Amino acid sequence: MKKIMITLLSGLGLLIAAPATAMADVDIFACEPEWGALAKEVGGDHASVTTATTAFQDVHHIRAKPSLLAAMRKADLIMCSGAALESGWLPVLVQKAGGPDVQPNTVGWLMASDHVQKLEVMEQADRSMGHVHPEGNPHVHLNPEYIVQLADFVADRLYQIDPDNAEAYTVNLNDFKERWNAKLAQWKAQAAGLAGMNVIVRHKNWSYLSDWAGINVVASLEPKPGLPPTSSHLESLLQSVKNKKVSAILVAPFENDDAAQWLSGKTGIPILPLPYTVGGSDRAKTQEGMFDETFEMLGKADS
Amino acid sequence: MILSFDMLGLLAPAFFAGLIVASTHVPLGQEVLKRGIIFIDLAIAQIAALGMIFAHVVFASEGGMLPLVMAMAFALCAGALFAMLEKIAPDKLEALIGCTFVISACLSILLLSQNPHGGEHMQDLLAGQILWVDWRHVLLVGCVYTLILVLWFLMRHHRKLLFFFLFPVTVTLSVQLVGVYLVFASLIVPALATNRLFRGYVIAALAFLSGLILSTIYDLPSGPAIVCCYPAIAFLLRQKKQSEDESKNRQ
Repeated sequence: MKKIMITLLSGLGLLIAAPATAMADVDIFACEPEWGALAKEVGGDHASVTTATTAFQDVHHIRAKPSLLAAMRKADLIMCSGAALESGWLPVLVQKAGGPDVQPNTVGWLMASDHVQKLEVMEQADRSMGHVHPEGNPHVHLNPEYIVQLADFVADRLYQIDPDNAEAYTVNLNDFKERWNAKLAQWKAQAAGLAGMNVIVRHKNWSYLSDWAGINVVASLEPKPGLPPTSSHLESLLQSVKNKKVSAILVAPFENDDAAQWLSGKTGIPILPLPYTVGGSDRAKTQEGMFDETFEMLGKADS
Repeated sequence: MILSFDMLGLLAPAFFAGLIVASTHVPLGQEVLKRGIIFIDLAIAQIAALGMIFAHVVFASEGGMLPLVMAMAFALCAGALFAMLEKIAPDKLEALIGCTFVISACLSILLLSQNPHGGEHMQDLLAGQILWVDWRHVLLVGCVYTLILVLWFLMRHHRKLLFFFLFPVTVTLSVQLVGVYLVFASLIVPALATNRLFRGYVIAALAFLSGLILSTIYDLPSGPAIVCCYPAIAFLLRQKKQSEDESKNRQ
């Protein structure tokens, strides 16, 4: 028994003795890949970004892992979608491991949806409506214009946290904005071709994309947001789309597509597995790649 | 992932939560095994969870004391029911307990069917979120468990009935702290490996320590990692004990 204890304890000692990792000027904790990517664009070499989730995880809910605690511990800036999207885990994580400068309403607390025009904000919400966010739809990252607006906010926070490198952040910001604005023109042209297209979604996480591109969301597979599809809901959905021309069923990488398969089998409407966020497909390695692929795939589905 | 002093500070509440859970579970687990009613912890844990879900769905209560009070009330009712069943049908007790487990699990699913992200809520209760535990929880549960241990060891002669009161209280609090799977492992594995109290405590402490270390190094969810360490540690210590006994016999 002693031997086992000694082995364990000496293992512990070795691990503690290991050297600390290289220091960046600013440590950024991003809840979702899209914000991690944006923070890296503006922060550049001076920022070390940890992204808490991948494109294959439902960010409403994640498991507590030690790396999250460690990343939160050293974070100087937290960037998330906000609007209660991460309410299941972010508050407890910040409370447990976050420093005083990353608490809500401080410089280190940047929630994307606090700084853009939100959709589906409700005056009144009750539980009977399902998993609604009374604060409004939190999935704001799919409006490409918001991304460039939010880059300014990231830069602003970085100036305050790390004024020594302000110049570098300005260079990164301007470079990013120039690239992005060129892309915006291209995506706008592509979106113009999509106007009036009908799609079905699984969850209401495509609202900002459809709103920006003028796409009609004719139905959700979920009877209420957050509730798994039920047979009676799918049956009524089947009736309601019978006489409509629907081009695609949009599914994100982390979503179970059983119900989409079922509906697709019955109606012949193709399933369109869009990348949804950075890392959601091979091409979506960057924000630009993600929107490029998204608009291309939508264009193909519409034709 | 590298362990640092900072990291150890963050893991410390989880480790002490584990020790506190083990403090009551090792002796109570031996009692469970002696009585041959293994399912009782799963059943009580599930019924406590049902109480929480009930508070959640019927009273739309998210936080605060109500879910815990409800869980405790449900668990204590279940304890009383099992005490009664033991009198009426002692030979069928384990089967009846098993049935209540399945029924309460299904009732939870039915209650949660209208609840967004209900499945995830269930997952949380099962696998637990031991890393989120903070010192306040540890202290609070520690006080209650001290009381429970005092009662358990002072009132030896009344254990037969006392068990059905203390056990639900313990399981309900532990499930909130570490989740159903860890509650089960902490009760049963040490009791299976040894009938000595001290050795049971050593197994539990080492399982929590090694599980937390492994989960940090490989960045795994901590609760399930600790559960998997339990049998490994128990097996190692049992082997060690056997070889010690053999060498003693040879002398």
